[in-house]
Order: sequence, then C-alpha cells, then structure tokens
Amino acid sequence: MGEGGGQVLRSSLALSAVTGTPFRVESIRARRSRPGLLRQHLTAVRAIAEVCGARMHGDALGSRELTFEPGEVQHGDYHFAVGTAGSTTLVFQTVLPPLLLAAGRSRIVFEGGTHNPMAPPFDFIARTFLPLLQRMGASVTAELKRPGFYPAGGGRFVVDLTGGQPLSGLSLLERGDVEQVGIEARVSQIREHVATREMKALAGALADLPIEADTAVVESAGPGNVAVVTVRTPQLTETFTGFGERGVKAEKVAHRLAGEVRKYLAADAPVGEHLADQLLIPLALGGGGEYRTVEPSLHTRTNIEVIEAFLPDRVKLAERDGFRVEVRA
Amino acid sequence: MKTVVIGMLGITLDAMKKRGDRWQQWRPTVDVCRQEDLVVDRFELIFQPRFKTLAGQITRDIESVSPETDVRAQHVELEDPWDFEEVYGALHDFASNYNFKPEREQYLVHITTGTHVAQICQFLLTESRHIPGRLLQTSPPKKKGRPGSYSIIDLDLSKYDRIASRFRLEQRESRDFLKSGIATRNAAFNKLIERIEQVAIASKAPLLLMGPTGAGKSQLARRIFELKTLRKQISGRFVEVNCATIRGDGAMSALFGHKKGAFTGAAGPRDGLLREANGGILFLDEIGELGLEEQAMLLRAVEEGRFLPVGSDREVESDFQLLSGTNRDLHEAVAKGTFRDDLLARINLWTFQLPALRDRTEDMEPNLDYELARWTETQGERVTFSKEARKLFLDFAVSPAAVWAGNFRDFSAALQRMATLAEGGRITVPIAREELERLRASWQRPGTAGGEEILARFLDESVVASLDLFDRVQLAEVLRVCSTAKSLSDAGRTLFAESRKRRTTTNDADRVRKYLARFDLAWSDFQR
Repeated sequence: MGEGGGQVLRSSLALSAVTGTPFRVESIRARRSRPGLLRQHLTAVRAIAEVCGARMHGDALGSRELTFEPGEVQHGDYHFAVGTAGSTTLVFQTVLPPLLLAAGRSRIVFEGGTHNPMAPPFDFIARTFLPLLQRMGASVTAELKRPGFYPAGGGRFVVDLTGGQPLSGLSLLERGDVEQVGIEARVSQIREHVATREMKALAGALADLPIEADTAVVESAGPGNVAVVTVRTPQLTETFTGFGERGVKAEKVAHRLAGEVRKYLAADAPVGEHLADQLLIPLALGGGGEYRTVEPSLHTRTNIEVIEAFLPDRVKLAERDGFRVEVRA
Repeated sequence: MKTVVIGMLGITLDAMKKRGDRWQQWRPTVDVCRQEDLVVDRFELIFQPRFKTLAGQITRDIESVSPETDVRAQHVELEDPWDFEEVYGALHDFASNYNFKPEREQYLVHITTGTHVAQICQFLLTESRHIPGRLLQTSPPKKKGRPGSYSIIDLDLSKYDRIASRFRLEQRESRDFLKSGIATRNAAFNKLIERIEQVAIASKAPLLLMGPTGAGKSQLARRIFELKTLRKQISGRFVEVNCATIRGDGAMSALFGHKKGAFTGAAGPRDGLLREANGGILFLDEIGELGLEEQAMLLRAVEEGRFLPVGSDREVESDFQLLSGTNRDLHEAVAKGTFRDDLLARINLWTFQLPALRDRTEDMEPNLDYELARWTETQGERVTFSKEARKLFLDFAVSPAAVWAGNFRDFSAALQRMATLAEGGRITVPIAREELERLRASWQRPGTAGGEEILARFLDESVVASLDLFDRVQLAEVLRVCSTAKSLSDAGRTLFAESRKRRTTTNDADRVRKYLARFDLAWSDFQR
C-alpha cells in the first residue's frame, strides 16, 4: 500500500464485501516506523468482517499481510465501539457500502470519537455525504447522540438504513450561487468564550456571505472544540471543520477554517477535496455519475486505483474545466 | 492471544493535577490503552481501596478511549507503599492467586506507575517468573495530549542481555569474592562456586561443604559470611568451631551455653556458640565428630531456632544459618550409628563437594599468584619467582607426583616457606627445588596426612599391620592415585607416567590390576 495505507485498506474491504471478491494485501505499511496493521485498521477490518461474515488471515496488530474472504452480508443491529486511536466515521464508511447495497434493514451504533482531525468529522457525514446518498435513492440517516472529541472520545451516533434500494446516478458539475453559509462553534468542558471568539472571527472573515450563526455548549466525555462551516449551494452542501487545539488561539482556528472555505469558493468546482474522495465508491457501486472537483488529493488517486482493481474501467479522471471525475455504472 | 496489562494505579502520575485538563496530561495507565499498535484486552488495575475514586475515574477514561479494554479492580492493602517487604508480599500474593493462562493470554507488567519499591518488586516477580510476562514501560509524549510511547522488555530476550551481562559482571565479582579473589580456571570449580553463591544469596537453608582437609571449606564458609554481610542479608557474627576440638563433657556447654551453677565449675553463665551466632552464621567444621547428644540438640536448634542451655529449664532462641563441613562420608557414619540420619537430612539440603587441589591443576598458577599477593599484603614485601623457578614449581605442582595431600594447606605452606627463604624477594631455582624435595618427603612419609588413613580405608587393620614399610609406602601411594583416578587406565597413566614416555606399547592398567590383586583389591573397590 502506498500513500494512505489505511484508506486503501478500508476501500478494499468495502469493495470486497460488496462484490464478494476476496483479496489479499501484502507488505502492509512496510516502510513505516510501526509497520503492519495498526489498531484503527484492525477495528475497521473486524467491523466489516462481522457485517459480511468474512474469513480472515492475518487480522492481528502489526500483521504485514491480510487475506480477506467475504461472505454473505447480514443486516441487523450492530454496535461498534472504537477507541480514540481510530475514528467511528472511518468504520462507518467501511461498513456502509455493503449494508447499503444488500437488501435489509440495519441499525448501527457507533461509539468513540466523532470529531477527530484525522478523519471525516460527523458533520461532514451528516450534512454533506448522506444528503447526496439520499438524493441517489439511499435510505439512510445518521443521528449524533453525543459528540466524542479527541482524545477522550466517548461519542455516539446511530445510523438507520434500509439497504437494497436502487441507486441512481449523480451529476455535480455546476456549483451555482451560495445560498447560505452556516457557521457554528461548539465547546465541551472548555470556556464558552472560545466558541464566541471563533464565531466572531468567522463572521468577520466571511462577512460578505449570507451567514447564519449558531454557538453551542455540548456534552461530551472530554474537552473539545470544533468550528463548522457549511456552504449551501443549489446542488449540495459542503462542510468544513476546524479543530480547536491547546495553545492555538480561537481566532487562528477560525481564520484557518475561513481560509479553507475561501479556497473552495475560489475554485468554482462544486465538490471539495474530501467529498471527491468519498463519492467514488457510492457512484461506482450505484448508478455512476460525474462531478467537477478541485485538484484530487493523493488519497483520491489511490482510491481510484483500488476501485480499478475490483471494478475495472469504471472511473475516469479527466483534466477538463479543472478536474472532472466520470464514473460508469 | 489476549493482551493483559498488570499495573499499579499511579497515585501521582495517573492523578489529575489540581488545575487543567486531564486529557492534556500524560497519565501512564490511560496512555497504555490508547496506543496505535497495542490493544489491551484486559487491565488488572492494582490499587489501595482508599484510592477508589481515582481508580474509578481512570477506569471510565480507559473505557472511553479504549472500549476493547476490560478494566478490573485489584485491591491491595498497603500500609506503606515504600516498605519493600510489604509491597513485595502484597504483589507476591497477587501473583500467586492470579490465574495466569499464558497459553491464551500475554501479560505485560506496567512498571511506570507505583513507587520505586513497587517497580522493583514487579521487576523481581517478573524476572523470577512469578508473573509470566514481560515488562511494559511507558514514557510521556513529545506533544501534549498525544499518546506517549511505550516499550516492552522481555527479560528472557536479547535486549535484556546487556543488563544481564552487567549483572553477571557483578555476580562474577561476588563469585570471585567467594574464591577469595582467585580467578579459577577450572570449569567444574567455577560452576560449583557459582552454585554456592546462588544458594548462599537466595537461601538461609543449611549448607554442607564436603571435601578433603585443606580444600578450603573453612575459608569458603567465611567468605559466604562476608558475602552475605556485604549484601546486608545478615548482621550477626561468623562463629566457627571444629567439632573435633569440643568432644566430651564441655561440648554441650560450648555449643549451647549453660546457666550459672549448672555444673561444678560453672561459675558464671555462658552463652554458647549457637547464641553467639544469632543473626549470623555458625560454621561447624568436621560435624561428623559431634557427639550424639549434641546432634540431637543441634537438630532442634536448626529446626526450631530454639534449644535448652545446660542446666536451664528455659529455652533460648538463636536465629543463625548453619554451615557444616566434613571430610567424612556422613552416610557411612549414619549406617554405623554415629551420626543421626534426621540431622543429616536437615543439614545436607545443599551439599557441595569441594574438589581436592590435585583435581584443579588449572588453578595452580592463579593460586600461586594469589599466595604471593597475600604474602605481599601481610608481610609488606614483594616476593617474585624467577621465570625458571616458577616453571619448575608449577610443572611439579600439576604433575602426578604432587599429591597435595593437605590440599591448599600444603600449597600455601610451600609458598610461605619459599617466600621466607627468598633473599631479596626472589624465589630462585634452588629455593624451589629444595621446596619440592620437602613436599615429596612430607607426602611419602607414611603416617603423615593420608598414609595410614588411606590404607585403613581399603584394607583391614590386620592386613596393614602385616605389611612391610616398603610395601606400605608404595601401596598407600597407589591407593591414593586409584581413589582419585577416573578409571583403571587413568590410574595406570598416572602411576607409570615417566616410563610411558619411553615405551611404544603400554598396558599400564593391567600392571595396576595385577599389583592390586596382590592385596586382594580390585578396581571396583575404588568406586563408591
């Protein structure tokens, strides 16, 4: 596995479970200081193995090789508790495709970190990713019961879904006008003025946009702070998240986040960097589609390669009008 | 394979600072459970019940960051967590009562938390395999709030070798200590000393040192005492007595003491040697010479640490370690009824057979240097050998002709005589040659050490009495060689060493066999 070893593994697991194709990876994270499977990888491996009754070899910490033979996808009640070293949203993304494609109803409870700088935050899943899946015809909802911030974790969200609905195609080529920009800041076990200052700085930095603001003190197991900006356009809502950090001023967190939003708006493509990555698998497994995006990350490029391995000739990345991804059904 | 961590709750490190965010703080116990490449399936959290609030907090936090981990509370009562004995006892109890399943679970002993005393105890219990696991050490992160790092130390494996080799060096020092600083080159003797050291340090049980006169039993006993004193294992005295010198009426009183007026002449009370050895070591040399009555009392003293002084109706106590020495076969003495078998069973839990000097030919040279150094130390003047004299003496010392009947006593005496005669501190060839003659003469005179004794061992008194002096001298020497030889051929090689050099064919074993047959002796008589 090259760059983004964890991402390659999770994509392979999801695609394998959906397509029923066994796979084997070798020299996992071979050149890292701590080679082999890490805990967060193993969590995803075990979770999806449970969902699709897989047989495995090498599913152990530090293992350099993994063989995965998927079985039948089983719907039902699942409960995945993930340590903070991993992230619940990454496990969610791994188990979602097989459950969404096979017929049946499931309720999945995820416990652990929901807002981790190294993974898609829950807000991105709930406001950006899932609405697009719903538009494709998927019946899936996610509800945050309690946020879990790094490092204490202790968050919880519940996903309800009915799998087996036919998925239509999706076309996201034009962004259109910005209809609304939601800004909000949340704190847990941290003084509220941190959120107030973030909001003030965000409002100032994005003053020319139609802003709707919201500050909240939330309940969580440990201290945490996030600032979230959602940009609603006719086609979709993009979500950007900034993480408060000890020793980093609230204003700095806000300005960094505002910078990201500005960069997205300046690029004119509707699909942001992370969403471009996340859409690939649903589109490849569903009715295909196309979208315009910003310059694809290395993650996205490797993800395309992984999909190619399971579903050849589906994804095409073209450089036309910026970047354009075409996915054949 | 499940991973189980056994760790003490760190009442300082795991505790929250008064101000600030506990998640920014490095708390080793929580940190162990949030490692990227380590999943703890179970955490045995050892703590005193009075810290249950902190333990509860830590448990909840672990469950939050690591839902895979099942935290189990292990209560221990400690009055003083800095008290070595108490902590060791508590942890030892924990380990003994814990149902280890090493075939299904791997154990990591987290030593970062707890007092230093607790750390040491955990180390000891792991090293001694009371806890069949590896040590787990954690250290703080480079960046606050992130997981710190950890390392696993397998005391059985190579990484530990470096520590172990340092430890071995220290051990070697104490071993050399036992050998009085003599670097022995004899592998068997080395091993023996190693084992004695191990036992002496680990145990308070009686030790029996067997070996011929002069083999160094008494010196070794004294060195064991000094070693244990140095290691602060004992604080009492070294009391040495040769049982052959206290036979008869005074023996009881000498050993066990008496009350004032216990018998005629007992003008004042006497503590006795056993009492004097309280907290220390009692060395009873030639224990086979002890009378049966004394043996009975000694047995009680060894078994129960108490005994009755002569004329007293109140028992007294003495806590000593018993070292015994003998050059007799005590089993034989038991068979003859002169030694109690229950006492023998009690004192020979550890029996060490010290080799005779002639069985340690490799050690002649280091001993020679040692004796010279000792001379310099005691006499304040340096004595050296001329090269030729040294070679002459050493060649003789390791030759079959050198019987070393008195073992180190003979060797030491020879060196002292030569050093005394060395004019200008130089031992020359004439001095050495003169000494060799003296040694030969002393060993060849029947009746001196070994002569009569060895004849009596193999032949009836009446047979010995009927022998001419001529035969007696020769036979004694042959018997001596045979009794130490490994085989008949070996004996032949020693006895005919000179003439062998000039012969092309040899059948010395046969010659020895025939010679022995003249006295109705066979090789089987020399095998115990």
